[in-house]
Order: sequence, then structure tokens, then C-alpha cells
Amino acid sequence: MNRASLHFLLAALVAIALPLFMRSGTLASEVLIFAMAAAACNLLLGYTGLLSFGQGIFFGLGSYAAGLTLLHTSLPLALALVLSAITGAVVATGVGWLSIRRQGVYFVMLTLAFSQFFYFLAYTFKDITGGDNGLLNIPRPAIGPFSLGESWAYYAFVAVLFLLLFAALQRVASSTFGRTLLAVRDNEERARAIGFPVRNFKITAFAISGAVTGLAGALHALLIGVAPLSNIDYHMSESILIMTIIGGTGNLFASVLGAGFYVIVSDLLSSIWPRWLLLLGGLLIVVALFMQKGLWGLLERLVEALPMGRKSSINSSIESPIQPESEGRGI
Amino acid sequence: MSTQTPILAADKLSVRYGSFLALSDVTLSIKPNTIHSVIGPNGAGKTTLFHALTGRVRASSGRITLDGQDITHVSDDKRVPLGIARSFQVTSLFQNLNVRENLRLAAQGRNPLQALAPWRGVDPRDHALAVADEVMERLELTHVSDRAAGELSHGQQRRLEVGMAVAAKPRLILLDEPTSGMGIDDVEAMKALIRDLGRDHTVLFIEHNMGIVMNISDTVTVMRAGRVLVEGPPAVVRDDPEVRRAYLGNMITGDIA
Repeated sequence: MNRASLHFLLAALVAIALPLFMRSGTLASEVLIFAMAAAACNLLLGYTGLLSFGQGIFFGLGSYAAGLTLLHTSLPLALALVLSAITGAVVATGVGWLSIRRQGVYFVMLTLAFSQFFYFLAYTFKDITGGDNGLLNIPRPAIGPFSLGESWAYYAFVAVLFLLLFAALQRVASSTFGRTLLAVRDNEERARAIGFPVRNFKITAFAISGAVTGLAGALHALLIGVAPLSNIDYHMSESILIMTIIGGTGNLFASVLGAGFYVIVSDLLSSIWPRWLLLLGGLLIVVALFMQKGLWGLLERLVEALPMGRKSSINSSIESPIQPESEGRGI
Repeated sequence: MSTQTPILAADKLSVRYGSFLALSDVTLSIKPNTIHSVIGPNGAGKTTLFHALTGRVRASSGRITLDGQDITHVSDDKRVPLGIARSFQVTSLFQNLNVRENLRLAAQGRNPLQALAPWRGVDPRDHALAVADEVMERLELTHVSDRAAGELSHGQQRRLEVGMAVAAKPRLILLDEPTSGMGIDDVEAMKALIRDLGRDHTVLFIEHNMGIVMNISDTVTVMRAGRVLVEGPPAVVRDDPEVRRAYLGNMITGDIA
């Protein structure tokens, strides 16, 4: 079995296992929704080497787009989701187009600035977004004959979308396009010197990432029935980035791990100890210092340590994008 | 030969870095299907000339033409599909990608927009892959095809560096000090390779090893302080008093085969 099929199988296992081990369908849905957002973030961070603080923009706008469509029009749910993906893609293209004019720290600063800008836009246009209160009472219409009212029914819907998007992102990552992104990440100057218009590749990566993130945002708004201001907040960008980094930037499934870990652990800890974010900060430091391949890297090491592990080793394939040494380069 | 249209020509090309004039009124013409070398002491502007010819740096003034077509304002990535490819003085590879993938990318760079389709996979019968395999064969890198470029020995990395330019199937190939830092055996192999490349490409190369320069070049351009000092066949250049002075008389020793 090749690497991509294995990872897809793992993603499918996660989608099947969550209902077996979790009591709340809402929390399970949240895991998969953020897994999509983190995988989309990984396409930029892990594959292209772009540390974008703009992911919250696309997530939040996706929430608003779906919310507004369902509140003010009678368009079907599927169309609302498509609209939010388009919104994410269009805005990501714009943000990307402007931000990639600079590299490294200045690129990061630009995405951060855009993040603040869109937050204040959402805050200011209270008539449209509901401002501080968020966009309330977003309905969750049925999709065809299937009612999504019950939380596990909605989970099933999210899980199907998650698997479809995961497969699509895998396809993107292994395409000539994805492999060129890895080259850009590795050595942008050489990529240009051998003929690739690097900016077009980066903008396309942004557009794809924005579409998936926008869709994830829409699913989140439908999940909780609200498009809250916090979905477009800078903290949303930060959370998505943290999930991606904790999971590991080496492959897309790592982002599923990262999102699952973040969502479940924050749910557990927040009920026990209100200052649980401190622990998360500590964990981030550990990841940055000792396990740059994130939870995925840890898993890999565990599998290799098993007696049977070496044979079925899941690492080392030419598609493996990231080596820890190059972490943080060319952001 | 002198009446042929040059494949690449620079006309009064200047490059300015801030207030420093790195290249000053350089006029150069490369005849098709020749091996043309550029020599000169450090800081003579050789690499800057390469940067300008490949579009990496913008010309401050002057003109560059490829087959008579003005390419002065064409960006570097767009010059590759026109048939110009280069190697770098300081090895610049995709360190984490394997040798075959490095070369596949370099071959794909001729048709870069094809790679922009996010749904298009890499077919095992892909043209770029075939080119990569062919170049590996030619550069004797086939046995390390699955190793990451960063894990290769220095000599292998330098060969791959040249291979990246070859894989683009250019008409004009620019090699910036292909033998830099190489051991003596590798240098001989590189010399044979450049001579071989000269059979189906036009080669422009920068080199410090006078043995190679005098041996395989059809034309030698000598640069100093951002200007062209002398240009001509190796024998003429070697005996030029100005060149001898520029090199303090003792660096040009290579035999002419």
C-alpha cells in the first residue's frame, strides 16, 4: 500500500472512530472541521513554506458567507457551502497576492496585518456580521432527504465532506503542482531559475487553502448555529497554526492528528483548569525544541520502536516534504 | 563563423548595485554551437554578467538579445522556456528532494504552466521523468537517483548542479564555475562533460581552471573591473599582454590541445 492510501485510510479510521469514543457529536464534528482547516494550513506551511496568519480570515469569512446565505436567501445548503468556499478562495487569492510580494518576516507581518484588518471590518459592519454578538440563529437545513438537525447526523455529513476534501488535498499535494510547491519551499531561487513562476504557484496554493478553510468555517457556523466574531479573530489564525504545527508539517494526516489533539485536549482541560492554555504553550515549546515533526513524528518513532514496526515503517518516501532541519526556512 | 547571427548578444550592458557599477558597458556576442568561456580575476563581474543574462538581476542599461529578439525585460523564469538555462557557482539544489526529482523539476521548468494544474499527477511515462533519467545517465548519477540532493558528495552535487541546467534542454547553457571546489578526477570528468555539451548546446561558462578554459573554448572573454578586457580565441587571449598583466603574468598556464 502506498503512503497516500495509508494516510487516507488513517483519516477514514479517525472519522469512524470518533463516534465510537466520543459522547458529543458536536465535539467530534469540531475535530473534523478543524482537521480540514489545519490540513489547508499545512498546504501553505508544510508544502509551500508560507507561515500564514491569514487562515482565520478565510475561516471567519466562510462562516459569515454561509450564515448570510442561509439567513437571507432560500438557497440550498450545498450552495451556501460552495459560496463560502468561493469566498475563502477569492479573499485568499487577494491576501496571498499582496502578501507574497514580501518574504520571511515581512510576509508573516503582512498576513498578520490582514488578519487584524478583516477582524475590524467584521467588528465595524455590525449590521451585516452582528459585530460582537456574531451572526445568530443560522439554520441548518436538510440536505436532500437527510435531516442534519441531530448532532450525529450532522457529524456524518461533515465526515463525508472531510474525507472528500482530504482526498482532494492529497491529490493536490502529490500532483506536479504539489511537488513544485515542495521545490519552492526547499529553494525558491532555484525554482525560479529553472523556470517556475513562483508567485503564481504561491497564489494558487493560497486560493486552494482559502477555499478549504472557508468551507471549514461554514461548517463550523452551521455546527454551532452562530457565526461568531471569534471565528475571524486573530486567535483563530493562531489556533489553526498551532494545530498544524503540533500535528507536524510533514504530511496532511499529521494535521488531522494536530486538530484532534488540540480540540479534544482543550475540551478536557478547560473544564478542569481555566488556565489550561499555559499547558498548551508548554507543549508548543517542546514541539519546537524537540519534536519538529510534531505528533506525527512521535507516532512514527513509536511505530519504528515496535518489533514489527520497521517493516511497515510509514516514513521515508520521496513525497515526504519536510526535514526538520529546514523547519522555519523561507517562511 | 563570424557572420552568423549570435545566439545571445549583450549590447552595452551595465548593472549597478546602488552606487557600485558591477558591470559597465559590456558588449558580448555568443556564436551558436560554440563553447565560450568568461575568465577574469575575482570581482571582475563575471557572475553579475551571468545574473544579467539570465534575468536574475535587472540591467541598468543596455540590451540583451536572444536570436535577435530583445529579452532585456523578460523575467528570469520566462527566459527558461526561451532556451536559456544556468548552473550556479554556489551549489543551489533542492536539498531535501531526491536527485531524480531535482532533475524532473528542472525538466518540467521548460513547461512550467503545465505544473500549475493541481489535479495533474506525475505520470510514470512523463516526459520530464524521461529527461531526468537521461540526464542522470549522462552525469553518472543514476546510482544515487533516490538519494536526497543534500546527501550527495560535493563532486556529485556539482555534477547535479550542471545537470539541472542540462535537464531544461536549453539551446544556450550557462555554467558558473562548474568545477569549483572539485577534486582533480572530478575536474577531468567535468571538462569532458562540458566539451560533450558543446556538441548539442551553445555553452557559456565561467571558469578559473585555465587548463579547461584554454583547452575546450572556442572563444575566451576576459573581464576585469566590470568591463571586457579582451576577447578572442584561446591562443590570442593567452598571449595578450594586457591579460598577462591582469593576471600578474602567472596564472594562465594551461596547454592548448
